[in-house]
Amino acid sequence: MSRKTINKIWGWAAIALAAIAAPLVLGSIYWTSVLTTIVINVLLAVSLRTIFLIGEFSLGHVGFMCLGAYASSLLSMKAGAPFGLSLFAGALMAGLVALGLGYPFMRVKGIYFVILTVMASESFRNLAMNWEDLTGGFGGLVGIPAPGMLNIPFLGEVDFGGFNEYYYLTLTVVAFSLFLIHRLERSRLGFTWLAIRETDKQAAAVGINVLRYKVINFSIACFFAGLGGALLAHSEQTISPQAGSAFGVMTTMYLLIYMVVGGKSRFTGPVCGAVVLSLVMEFTRPMQEYQPMIVGAIAIAVVLFFPEGLVSIPEKIGTWFSTASETTAEAPVKGSAHKG
Amino acid sequence: MGFLEIRRLTKFFGGLTAVMELDMDVGQGRIVGLIGPNGAGKSTVLNMIGGTLMPSKGEVIFDGVEVTKLPSHRRAHLGIARVFQENLLFNGFTVLENVLVGFHLKSKKGLSSSLIKTRSTRAEEETLREKALETLAFVGLTEYSHELAINLPHGRQRLLSLAIALATQPKLILLDEPVTGMNAEEVENMLSMIRALRDEKGVTCIIIEHNLKAVMGLCERITVLNFGTKIAEGTPGEIVENPVVIEAYLGTEEDVT
Repeated sequence: MSRKTINKIWGWAAIALAAIAAPLVLGSIYWTSVLTTIVINVLLAVSLRTIFLIGEFSLGHVGFMCLGAYASSLLSMKAGAPFGLSLFAGALMAGLVALGLGYPFMRVKGIYFVILTVMASESFRNLAMNWEDLTGGFGGLVGIPAPGMLNIPFLGEVDFGGFNEYYYLTLTVVAFSLFLIHRLERSRLGFTWLAIRETDKQAAAVGINVLRYKVINFSIACFFAGLGGALLAHSEQTISPQAGSAFGVMTTMYLLIYMVVGGKSRFTGPVCGAVVLSLVMEFTRPMQEYQPMIVGAIAIAVVLFFPEGLVSIPEKIGTWFSTASETTAEAPVKGSAHKG
Repeated sequence: MGFLEIRRLTKFFGGLTAVMELDMDVGQGRIVGLIGPNGAGKSTVLNMIGGTLMPSKGEVIFDGVEVTKLPSHRRAHLGIARVFQENLLFNGFTVLENVLVGFHLKSKKGLSSSLIKTRSTRAEEETLREKALETLAFVGLTEYSHELAINLPHGRQRLLSLAIALATQPKLILLDEPVTGMNAEEVENMLSMIRALRDEKGVTCIIIEHNLKAVMGLCERITVLNFGTKIAEGTPGEIVENPVVIEAYLGTEEDVT
């Protein structure tokens, strides 16, 4: 194993340890629920970046999150489905809808794709608002059941009704999801996605079915958005379809900002962005009306001074202190990563 | 029946007729040139054979299969490869990775094989790597295999485009201006490589090129287009003598005076 891999493993171990210790150190229900939201935001931001691997931006991520949340909540409320099943079904619902919509949507690129995604997500929210018989309409759903008792191997029956327990459950689900997404990104599939992002014309010329690969990508990303939404619904235990709610268009904006501020060219970028900015949001909660302004100012500052995001800061500081010859050797690599 | 048959191939761009009722036959293992003044419709013809443009009318039959309406990637499966006029490379990838993308058709693509790296997936990756290195050795880019594609000079980028096309193991390769912008030595190198492809692997080539010296030296048959229609067809010797071709390239005496 190279030194770099060992460093990476230590880094992830430190993050995992911090995530596990955090609720115990902070020791308050309030902070535990904040941590749960942060972990969910990480999953949402990372899955949003997955779409960026094919070179597209989605402003409709929140819509698929909404689909997952409603599907999972309704299954557990109306059909009494067990937590694990309804969570998975919520994610699957979002993934399948994305699969269906992907075929028409992925025929267009860039801003046209962005418009379609934002329209789709608003449609989902409006559907939730107006299909009163099923979704409870304007008032949303109240009393979404907590996971309750779950049988965990080696641990036996554990009650996930408590805040700390639910946090650990979310953390486990998100960590496993991140592992899967990372695995996919580094596989032949992820390689093909990146090739399509570089030039879809040449990709098609070597036999890559560009449309199919883009749709698979969109569907996988939305599956995890749905999972994030479902986790959120069971955490808050109430969901609302109103424009100012978690499923409003502002959430989609924030997710995009998390990704860009963190750094969209690296897997760790959106993780870092989601954690830092979610904390900023939490600390600025007393000045709620200024929140978008504060987050916006941070985003502008980061884009200006660290165009590759917060994750590039350690490296950037490193290059300030290193010799000139090293920086020139690194320059072309950076240029290309940025181009993507 | 020919290897590649083009029948009454026509392309309209709005009111403009880019290609008009073109008939063309290419035998297997032939190197065929497609020449003509700028805007004659040469690239449009190549795009319709390769699948990046769909014809308005007519048909393209490749190796006994009608491919007229097939998308690009399906034609790649059948054995049609492209070297585009512009250097369309996977810029952020290394030279070796560029060729590995070209081996897409030969790789496992299942979701499960992406998630779980079995021994057979690893073995397959290793074989593809070796094959990719062989392809790079053929075009003479071995020593640059770990450079980023974007950092290569133009001539080597052309060679890499060729290597990507070769990675698909084509039966027919469509080359759009393969030697444009190259120096004399690089041109000679590229031409001998195209000949080697035909002689060693039996790959059929259709070449668009403005470098007439290169075309005349390389091609066995040449088709000349002007304003979207075929004005001449024959061996290089016949083409240079043909008064219609000379007129298309140089204009008539009245035009000069």
